[in-house]
Amino acid sequence: MQAASEGMSPNSDLPQMIHLDLDIKEFCSDWTHCDLMSGYLARMVCHNRLDSLLFSNLYSSALNELLEAVYRTHGVSGKLECVVQRRGNLDRIILTFPADDETYRVYEEAIGKVNADNAEALYLEALFADQEPGASLGLLELGVDYDAKLAIGRCEDGRMRLTADLALEDETE
Amino acid sequence: MIAEKMTQAFQWTYNENDQEFSLHGSLRPQRADELSNCISALEQSVSNVSGMFYVNVRRLVRMNNVAFHALGCKILDLVRTRTDLKVHVTTSSVVGWATRKFAVLETMSDKITVSEYDNEFYPGQSFVEDSAFIHVLRTQTKLTWRHEKDLLAKHGLKPGMQVADICCGIGDFAVLLQKEFAPDRLVALDHSRASLDYARRVASDFGVRGIDYVFGDAADMLLEDNQFDFVTCRHSLQVFDRPERILKELFRICKPGGRVYVTNEKNSHCLGEPRGESIQWTYTEVAKLWHHFDMDIEIGPKSRRLLIEGGFEDVSIGSFMVTNTDGNPQDFADVIESWKKLFADTMATQRGDDEAFKEKFAKGFDDHIFAALHPKGYAGWPIWVASGRKPL
Ligand SMILES: C[S@@+](CC[C@H](N)C(=O)[O-])C[C@H]1O[C@@H](n2cnc3c(N)ncnc32)[C@H](O)[C@@H]1O
Repeated sequence: MQAASEGMSPNSDLPQMIHLDLDIKEFCSDWTHCDLMSGYLARMVCHNRLDSLLFSNLYSSALNELLEAVYRTHGVSGKLECVVQRRGNLDRIILTFPADDETYRVYEEAIGKVNADNAEALYLEALFADQEPGASLGLLELGVDYDAKLAIGRCEDGRMRLTADLALEDETE
Repeated sequence: MIAEKMTQAFQWTYNENDQEFSLHGSLRPQRADELSNCISALEQSVSNVSGMFYVNVRRLVRMNNVAFHALGCKILDLVRTRTDLKVHVTTSSVVGWATRKFAVLETMSDKITVSEYDNEFYPGQSFVEDSAFIHVLRTQTKLTWRHEKDLLAKHGLKPGMQVADICCGIGDFAVLLQKEFAPDRLVALDHSRASLDYARRVASDFGVRGIDYVFGDAADMLLEDNQFDFVTCRHSLQVFDRPERILKELFRICKPGGRVYVTNEKNSHCLGEPRGESIQWTYTEVAKLWHHFDMDIEIGPKSRRLLIEGGFEDVSIGSFMVTNTDGNPQDFADVIESWKKLFADTMATQRGDDEAFKEKFAKGFDDHIFAALHPKGYAGWPIWVASGRKPL
């Protein structure tokens, strides 16, 4: 895994803070990677926020849900990239990872729910469903509870990109 | 790089007396069945309960949706199948996501209630948050700083350290620390949003950068273990009914080999001449008043025992006296005037004291002020400073 800092990402106009890059198989070799990575990144980006502890706790929770989604639902092989950017109160997380059509469809469906008018009802439905939660529960929570703006897109190299825009401090004020 | 150990253990406890099931730590399982022990413990606990069952998630720092799904469904299932049962969930105001996340349970059943816990403040809290008194609090810190500046270095504070000031109040001490000792990192924590707002405003007005003011509960801090070289907690162990619990938290966040530094008062030892007797009577009453509210304003000399019993080594203790001769005697008098208002009025009224008592009580403060402003008078406020090292 490498960490490059500063500079602009080709995919976005926000200043970049951190770029992590690792093999999806390595990432998926251990579930605790989600927790460790989200905790680590949250600590790295929380320093100049209004309340670093509150921010880091929220950031870690949100990022963890995204990483858990990728852990569960991703294509067979390739690289997972995690880029975090910020401008003012807007924090953007971009996860790029291998995705076949089936994988992409899962996210498409989930994002469709997040952006639906009845997202809140869909969230409750997913939350209290009998079966174990699927990829969409975490994303729905981000949309409903964190007011995150989620989007997906295809990359030229066959991977997909999941972008989350978060305004965590506004929410806590 | 991410191999650092950051995952906190997950635990649960059940308190039968309070019918309260508490979850602690970090809860991010991959599958729901990883929680089966916890869920059966919860089932077991609730089986002997009727009426209100309390679920306390105040100390649950992280929780993913796998866990929330499992726990949420269980709670809902309980109130639906057991007609005699209600569930109350207590969340923390400090853990940003918790209240929103758990609040959805309320929408699913009117037998579930969710509320946010805020550590109860001591009766003097309104005073430390009242903007009319802020200048007095600042004066108080100015008076103690003259002494503490040198003492802090003697107790081991050096430039470039990782420092935390717990129960930082309006943050003026942190600003002085930042300027004088240039710490590498300075976290200042308090549970008063009003005080933190003020602290942030002052820091930004004065162009002081780098102080991380954070909202938290000193009894249950989100700060991780073993992080700080020097942890300060000033005039605050005395506002908690169980100071050893706060000390335990200070110990936890301190690095092995680092030091925890506390200052405390023993108000009955405030003194002055002339009118010494009346002054002494009043301050002895101050100690009783605090005691009535389960707080100990006499902790000062007990700090040594507290630190030793808290597991610290190389414990060192001393005291200094803030007096009217330190600088402008009016500063000293202003501080006492504000105490008179807080103790002989606000807190005495809360205790239910009658007017005659309050008058006599107030008299000692007036006499202390008289001594402070008297051309040949002497008035003092003693403070104990103690620190101890966390063993390696
Ligand atoms: C007597 S003041 C001392 C403030 C400051 N250290 C000073 O010396 O001026 C006590 C402080 O403890 C804070 N406090 C009370 N309960 C607290 C808690 N549970 N967690 C953190 N701070 C708390 C109050 O908000 C207040 O700022």
